[in-house]
Amino acid sequence: MANAALNRKFDRIRAREEAGQNTTRSGGRAMRKLLSNPLAVAGLVIFTIILLASIFAPLLTPHDPQKIDLRAMLQSPSAEHWFGTDRTGRDVFARILYGGRVSILVGLGSALIAAVIGVGIGAYTGYRGGWVDAVAMRVSEVFMSFPQIILVLLLVAIVGQSLLNLIVIFVLTGWGGMYRMSRARMLSLREEEYVQALQSFGIPTLKICYKHILPNAMGPIMVNITLTTAMFILAEAGLSFLGLGVPLSIPTWGNILNVAKDIRVLENNWWMWLPVGTVISLFVLSVNFIGDGLRDSTDPTLQG
Amino acid sequence: MLTFVIRRLLVTIPMLLVISFLVYLGLELTPGDAVSHMIDPETASRMTDEQFEELREALGLNKTFIERYLFWLGNVVQGDFGHSLSGGVAISTIVLDRLPATLELSVFALVFSTLFGCILGTISALRRGSLADSSLTVFGMIGVSIPEFFFGLVSILIFALHFDWLPVGGRLLPSYDSYFDHLPNIILPGLVLSMMMTAGVMRYSRSAMLDSLSREFIRTARSKGLPEWRINLIHGFRVALTPVVVLIGFRLPTLIGGSVIIEEVFQWPGIGSEFIEAVRGADYPLVMLIALLSVFAVLMASLIVDVLTALIDPRVRLS
Amino acid sequence: MSDLALSVDDLQTFFYTNRRCNKAVNGVSFEIRKGKTLGIVGESGCGKSAMASSIMQLLTRLSRIEGGAITYHSDRGDIRIDQLDRDGAEMRAIRGEEIAMIFQDPMTALNPVYTVGYQIGEALRYHTDLDAPARRARVVELLSDMGIPLPEKRADEFPHQFSGGMRQRAMIAMAMSCNPKILIADEPTTALDVTIQAQIFTLMNKLKEENGTAIMLITHDMGVIAELADDVAVMYMGNIVEAGTVDDVLRRPRHPYTRGLLDSIPVLGRGRDQEIKSIRGATPDAYDRPTGCQFAPRCDFATDACKVMPDEDTLSETHRVRCHHVRKVAENA
Repeated sequence: MANAALNRKFDRIRAREEAGQNTTRSGGRAMRKLLSNPLAVAGLVIFTIILLASIFAPLLTPHDPQKIDLRAMLQSPSAEHWFGTDRTGRDVFARILYGGRVSILVGLGSALIAAVIGVGIGAYTGYRGGWVDAVAMRVSEVFMSFPQIILVLLLVAIVGQSLLNLIVIFVLTGWGGMYRMSRARMLSLREEEYVQALQSFGIPTLKICYKHILPNAMGPIMVNITLTTAMFILAEAGLSFLGLGVPLSIPTWGNILNVAKDIRVLENNWWMWLPVGTVISLFVLSVNFIGDGLRDSTDPTLQG
Repeated sequence: MLTFVIRRLLVTIPMLLVISFLVYLGLELTPGDAVSHMIDPETASRMTDEQFEELREALGLNKTFIERYLFWLGNVVQGDFGHSLSGGVAISTIVLDRLPATLELSVFALVFSTLFGCILGTISALRRGSLADSSLTVFGMIGVSIPEFFFGLVSILIFALHFDWLPVGGRLLPSYDSYFDHLPNIILPGLVLSMMMTAGVMRYSRSAMLDSLSREFIRTARSKGLPEWRINLIHGFRVALTPVVVLIGFRLPTLIGGSVIIEEVFQWPGIGSEFIEAVRGADYPLVMLIALLSVFAVLMASLIVDVLTALIDPRVRLS
Repeated sequence: MSDLALSVDDLQTFFYTNRRCNKAVNGVSFEIRKGKTLGIVGESGCGKSAMASSIMQLLTRLSRIEGGAITYHSDRGDIRIDQLDRDGAEMRAIRGEEIAMIFQDPMTALNPVYTVGYQIGEALRYHTDLDAPARRARVVELLSDMGIPLPEKRADEFPHQFSGGMRQRAMIAMAMSCNPKILIADEPTTALDVTIQAQIFTLMNKLKEENGTAIMLITHDMGVIAELADDVAVMYMGNIVEAGTVDDVLRRPRHPYTRGLLDSIPVLGRGRDQEIKSIRGATPDAYDRPTGCQFAPRCDFATDACKVMPDEDTLSETHRVRCHHVRKVAENA
């Protein structure tokens, strides 16, 4: 058992206590806890690097991600093309940077919109209860009975592929999760005493719901947004890999991976797909680290 | 117990009806004549326009929307799913043909991820704070961050192409004689499909175990002088099992959906890859019906999980 | 040979959470006589539960016995519990079989997914050689002894199917299953109705008489002490401030805190206008304790001398107090 190490730790704490050096810190607890979590910090760093790299893509590479150069086909990484070139001579590094813009936009954007809709509805119907709540619950259940990918592909089949369509479809399939979570939080928060006090003052329902109660649920909501973002980025990658996501004319991380369906590319041209996949994984991993850190720091039941 | 099952069924059936209604709506709104759902194109092409019109009358297609829906629903319940737009094959045939392959993968992934996830999560909880725990946690995070298909591609590269230990893809190759010959083929796609689910189960069972071990009854068990393993497993894990089973039920849609992409990556001839083909080919009847079937699978699986939960946790039975 | 079941000598138990050190039990000494009930009385947070956990070596991961001695006087000789390995075979043999414990809230203290009979039978499984049918018979016998009707049926039911009072009886049945020499009861009736309380106490007295079990009863309720205890120890913030027979402490309290506790109990029959004296001030923060006597900030008799922790004064063969101003308190009786 880890007795020896634990005992030493206790001895240290006791010595400090008896020397009068221990004080309970207060204030800014959540932020401090987040920043003291090494994984969360690593996540923030990686996330920021990739995000900034995508935003400032033109500053980082002279190449045009769409420019075809048939003389430079299938070149492995070199000084000029850091990640080599693809089948039509396009620079892979540039495509990854610019592709990041679209992928992150789709992932983060859909998550935020889904959050606004899901939380907006969840908070209100959760607070009001009654038939409004029952109807909203049934509707969300219908959406959530479908495996997400199947519902997405179904809608893609019906409305066709486009960037905007994809965002709308993601929001449609993703709002349910946010809705459920914020409704559950609302159900427990509305039983708190300060709510009764506000009601007795005659404050309108909308105001109580959105201005007073909702801020108390921000912790789990933020955590959920990060997790939903991760989910959407993975979904977009998967769909574009299949060729059924963002149209192939727009570079996204998933679209770039599309080439790996060819087994010859898989075996011989590792630079065309391995770096992209790694970037996606790192980005999603960083988002998960941040989400985990947020959960730890905003959860009041976890002890030091 | 029986009342519990019946109550759950009563809740599930309306949901199925609503979704079937939406699916039928989709069928009506998308291209493809309603008649083509009902009869195979072979016969259809040989019919004259008048015969077609007669058939429409006979099948009641000139009746109201509701009546057409109910007629279609009746067919579906009896196993007649209509016909695919490409090739005119009966959809039920397609489904039955491809179902075993998908079931193999899904069942493998479910069993593997449940067993492994629980074992690893319990180890993590019991050795909390140790190196093993931290590594497992990080591995778990990595597991849910790597796109499943990317992981699949990488494993094909390493295990199939580079080391040549396992086949590259496909399920039943011409050289296979008995059923068991193709088992190595299941390994890569099965493991890749399990990855995300295992990571999820592992993390959840870890927190469920930690929560269970912090409860009062653990103290009581210890005060009786029971050995440590009994306290952890028989008392701790047993109570943690309920939320874990609930979580697995929750994640079943993801499992069923996950097989879609994995089947594509590994050329696995299941319903998932068939679905993708149908989407690519705008084969709306096939797309709709497979979607409906997947919902059916999800709802049935949820029901089974709920019953299972009631079996293992007496508190659930009475609510 | 002593008539003592357990001796605790200068016990110190510290809790380490949030990187702070909480000296929950800070030098406590007492004895439990065989076949008698020792009542430990004090407010929440005074360390009484920590003391009970120390005796059974049931402390949480983030705490440890810092010093002192816990000696269990068994038939085989004296055993130093504080020196045993926490989850070792010897400690486990003692737990459940020779020293048993019942907890405050029987609903959370029982495992919800196993039947009551199963949980009671577990201790029998590990401490006796009885086979399954014999264990079952013993379980039913125990439930019946505890006054639970239809014991055969009840043994196969789950905890949530029992009422609060019945659950506590089941807990007691579980604790008594192997006939322990010492029963530690940590606020056994705090979570129950007053009427049920009375039943449980009658039950505990009966056990004491019939089995000769020594009982360590932890409570915050002086009334309970008066009913059940033979000996009393009054605890405040990690120290025993006064100890003796129930006669000594309740009739001739010599510590200001004991005085304060007794004075604050309303008396039936004195009417609505009776004066209820409360102890001024509040219990200090566990991490921010006063130096010396812990009660000094709230004490009417405090002087500068109280900045040093008083030693134990022996007032008689049975009666001990920890106070610098015993005589002044006696004069003010």
